[in-house]
Amino acid sequence: MANSQASALEPVNVDTVAIRIREKNIKTSFIARYAEPLALLGALAVLALIFSLLNPRFATIGNLQNILNQASLPLIIGVGATFVILIGSIDLSVEGVMGASGLAFVLMSANSRGGTDFGVWAFVVAIALGLVLGLISGVIYTKVKVPSFIVTLGMWYVGLGIATILFGTDTVPSLTNSELTTWGAQITQALPNVFWLAAAIVIAGALILRFTRFGRVALSIGNNEDIARANGLKVSNNKILVFVFAGGLSAIAGVIATMQLGMASATVGAGNLFLTIPAVVIGGTSLGGGKGGVFGTAIGVILLTTLNNGLILSGVSPNFQSAVSGAILVLAIVATAWSQRDRLRISK
Amino acid sequence: MTKNNEQAVLRLSNIDKSFGANHALKNISIQINKGEVIGLIGENGAGKSTLLKILTGIYQPDSGTIEVNGRQSKFRGPRDAAGAGIGVVHQEQSLFTNLTVAENIAMSGAGGAEVKARFGIYNWRKINKSAAETLSIIGSQLDPRTVVGDLSFVDRQMVEIARAIRVDTSKGGSPLVILDEPTSVLERGETAILEREIRKLKDFGSVIFVSHRLDEIMRNCDRIIVMRSGEVVADRATETVTEDELFKLMVGHEAHAKVKSHHDIAKNSQPAVEIRGLGRKGKFSNVSFSVHPGRLTAIVGSTGSGREELSRAIFGAEKFDEGRILIGGREVKSWQIAKAVKSGIGYVPAERKVEGMVGGFSAAENLTLTHPGKAALGPFVNPLARSKVAQGWFDTLDVRPNDIGQDLGRFSGGNQQKVVMAKWLNSPELNVLVLDHPLRGLDPGAAQTVNEQIKLACDNGAAVILLSDTLEEALEMGDEILVMRDGVVSASFDLATDNPSTLDLLERMV
Amino acid sequence: MNLIETWTSSIEVIPSNKLAVIRRRIAKGWQAVGPLVMFLGMFAVVGGLTPTFIGNGGLTIVAASAAPILLVAIGQALVLNIGSIDLSNASITLLGAILLAMTLGPLGGAAPIVVVLMVSLFGAVNGLIVAFAQVPSFALTLGTFGILQSAALVVSGATTVYVTQNADVVSPLYQGGIAGLPMTFIIGVIVAVVSWAFLRFTRAGQGMTAIGKNESGAIFSGIRTRLLKVLAYALSGFMAGLAGITIIAQAGSASPTGLGSDLLLPGIAAAIVGGTSISGGVTNPINVVFGALTVALVPIATAAIGIDAQAQNLVYGVVIIVIVALTLARSKNEIVK
Repeated sequence: MANSQASALEPVNVDTVAIRIREKNIKTSFIARYAEPLALLGALAVLALIFSLLNPRFATIGNLQNILNQASLPLIIGVGATFVILIGSIDLSVEGVMGASGLAFVLMSANSRGGTDFGVWAFVVAIALGLVLGLISGVIYTKVKVPSFIVTLGMWYVGLGIATILFGTDTVPSLTNSELTTWGAQITQALPNVFWLAAAIVIAGALILRFTRFGRVALSIGNNEDIARANGLKVSNNKILVFVFAGGLSAIAGVIATMQLGMASATVGAGNLFLTIPAVVIGGTSLGGGKGGVFGTAIGVILLTTLNNGLILSGVSPNFQSAVSGAILVLAIVATAWSQRDRLRISK
Repeated sequence: MTKNNEQAVLRLSNIDKSFGANHALKNISIQINKGEVIGLIGENGAGKSTLLKILTGIYQPDSGTIEVNGRQSKFRGPRDAAGAGIGVVHQEQSLFTNLTVAENIAMSGAGGAEVKARFGIYNWRKINKSAAETLSIIGSQLDPRTVVGDLSFVDRQMVEIARAIRVDTSKGGSPLVILDEPTSVLERGETAILEREIRKLKDFGSVIFVSHRLDEIMRNCDRIIVMRSGEVVADRATETVTEDELFKLMVGHEAHAKVKSHHDIAKNSQPAVEIRGLGRKGKFSNVSFSVHPGRLTAIVGSTGSGREELSRAIFGAEKFDEGRILIGGREVKSWQIAKAVKSGIGYVPAERKVEGMVGGFSAAENLTLTHPGKAALGPFVNPLARSKVAQGWFDTLDVRPNDIGQDLGRFSGGNQQKVVMAKWLNSPELNVLVLDHPLRGLDPGAAQTVNEQIKLACDNGAAVILLSDTLEEALEMGDEILVMRDGVVSASFDLATDNPSTLDLLERMV
Repeated sequence: MNLIETWTSSIEVIPSNKLAVIRRRIAKGWQAVGPLVMFLGMFAVVGGLTPTFIGNGGLTIVAASAAPILLVAIGQALVLNIGSIDLSNASITLLGAILLAMTLGPLGGAAPIVVVLMVSLFGAVNGLIVAFAQVPSFALTLGTFGILQSAALVVSGATTVYVTQNADVVSPLYQGGIAGLPMTFIIGVIVAVVSWAFLRFTRAGQGMTAIGKNESGAIFSGIRTRLLKVLAYALSGFMAGLAGITIIAQAGSASPTGLGSDLLLPGIAAAIVGGTSISGGVTNPINVVFGALTVALVPIATAAIGIDAQAQNLVYGVVIIVIVALTLARSKNEIVK
């Protein structure tokens, strides 16, 4: 490890912080730490109240199941996105991976184009594809040092491309196994199957973050990568693993989405990215990394899904949906940042 | 005096290290015994840093041997060094602020920073318990479940020390803790806490204490090793040397005679800056003083005195709730940095790299950033004129290396500080210069040059407000001294008439 | 340098390692000409594979396609330069184009001016919120992106808006040109050169770059950071507006799903391929010209070479990654996010 690249000049790039003088901004109380999630839950409750007043159909069991159904995919993707954002990166490839794995899944299941039904292996291969795409993203990001924004942007197109190529020019392959297509929405113990899956993944994600080395190292990287490296933590490996993890989750989401759609589509994931990322941010995970968690994201997802659902039921034109989500996002971040305003605070 | 070999914790013999043409370490031989606190001093470039990097396994020596607890060792990397019982507390913080004290402590010790976890799963109860044990060894009362981000600086230092002592002592040795400039950001009250720690560490290990503050070295160390130009030029017991001798050994020549440049208040002149009843809730209150052109007011105080917040408020970097600031007799409202700069106030911050300069910009760009003078024409920048201005300053201040186009971040601390000062001195209308610990981290040679610049600023008519690192500095440089304690001015001295000693000042600080 | 290299107190005063100096010079040189070289290289490859490409005005086609991307990319580069990002500029372009289509009839020649000023204001609002509420720009502009997207849908009625009169106010921009390059592209180049000069030769531009390199240092040097942030975003909006004009010039209409509705990611890619650093403080608008040309070239080239339409996305993605990997300026131990 002897490094002989020495120079006459002082090296730069140290994370020094004038800690003592800025201590005043550090919230120390126990209550403050839980203030954010509680505020979110409060906002959710208020929203639910408003919508049920606006349209009696909102507050029905059927609608609740509907909301949870709609929230399931973003919840699954959100877990992966949370981990990626926690290490300070971003994963834009979500929709591409969804498309690619969805296509792979259909082609390996009983479908209208014929071919073999590989049963369980269809799931395995589809998810493996997601893991591999994540691996490629992670490796290029860490070894070739291309910013995650660009790598995952490229992989988004790559994923779409793979899906398109697999789709080919034949007739649209649709799933012929009705068990698959109806599984998601089926109600088990009062809630849709797909939601149980999403909930399990969310809980698993939270546990991984809290109790495993993988999660803890990810948190430390997000806080200060320099120190992590200096301490001998295996930063690159961890980062790659995070992307693999996210890729796998995107693949699961892609498979589920395809099952729900009933047929193959390269764009089966459309719209998920711009729902998930705001949800992660609203849920309290900082885009700079090192702060936040899976449960926050989950609340964010449910908040936004409820919002969209409520708006539709209230008769608001779909054209306004992105405006409302956008406005909520803006309000949420301004509200969070307002109290911390300081002439010396740096926010990028 | 022969040393008992059995007691030796560490022995370096004939260590040699070169980087290309640079012979950084020449035949270094040192021995450290158990229970000793060794002071390691030397100017920047003397080789301290290389030596420490060899001790912590970052570099490997070209020749020579390292013996730890009597056994020859080879450190292939930091893990080996930690495995041999050598721990280090860095100058910069190396803790994760989003994790708890316990988790940070758990990430240390032999085997690197991997927390011991079966199958990669953390047992929080064990981790917390283990951390609590380590903390009690060093006498700290911290709750291991506190998030590091919520701790004060000196508490974080304790956590760093806790981490450093968790080196592997299973092989029957005792830990060697290296403290690298631990006090450079601590105030007097806080250094007392640290010094208590060092005495505790002596009970079960040894310490290498690296610092530029000769008084601290003398106070805390049993033995002092002086390095110069890659060699050990002295290895003496503390009671056999004086500070002046140490300075001479370090620098190779006598300290320059201290010359106080003293300016009387010109008759009927107006103060350059007048502070009236300035206050900020929780930090300082009712501070009033004025500084006339050419005079230097030093503000001394320990932790919590409020002097940093005051100086930043004067520059507009932090707000104040009450009181007024008058520049040249006129009150300025809505005080903020841009306004302060326009009114002719300059500020040399303590955090040089983060606040004092723009790393990545060349020295010339940094120098002309605030007051470009001839380098700019209205809103436009003239790169040629800029080079000229910058070169002029480089020559005047003897900045090295003499390359105005070089990224300022790559210069050494002392040279960076020269450029930072030039940035403010470049304005012909500099009325007030506020300096916050300007000598922090500078070796005595560079510090002297910066002090000369401060005196020059006074000679050129600026009013200077100085937050000094040491009381001696305040006494040497100041025309007036303000003592702050717990947010209020507890005493003020005019050095033309009063003659306070450091003790007088200390009494009013604590 | 990472923490290991910097934790010690004293700094070695060692004569510069010659190899390191040479390496640094090469890196700087590549930073300056890399994007141009990349583009020429790609163009040559395409020309080699499909000789008719050059003959049939391939460069013109690429330039025409690159024009809106270029304008959006320059605006993005200015925002990236201060260390932030603007995810809303493409939707500003779309909204601007729609508004222009609607107002060209009634307002004639004043329409482009009015629209551009208006969208610059939208940009300025982004800047105001980022600067004064101190919120992360990614999240904020993601939100305003959604708001503006809705605005575009609502104003256009979710359908294509056609220019009914006075199309000739702007269409010469597309039809006319110099040396085969359409006027829209030339305008982009001019804007790039002016932006370059702005960053290099004005205090405001230097201030912006300082913010990108070290905002704390900039603040403490008396730079009016908040104002400059607002300005950067206003300029981004302004350029987005210009891009909207080029779209109307080319298509005579604006649609939420048609030409120009998809400029966000290509714009960012073009800025980065053009050597702009994502973390701030490094950009060269002139190189962004080549970045935009490169990004515009990829889909056109894949079609010209005859690569399967199915594979276009794949090629686009791979090429983007490869190009950025080759051109991005990064120091050895810099942290890449």
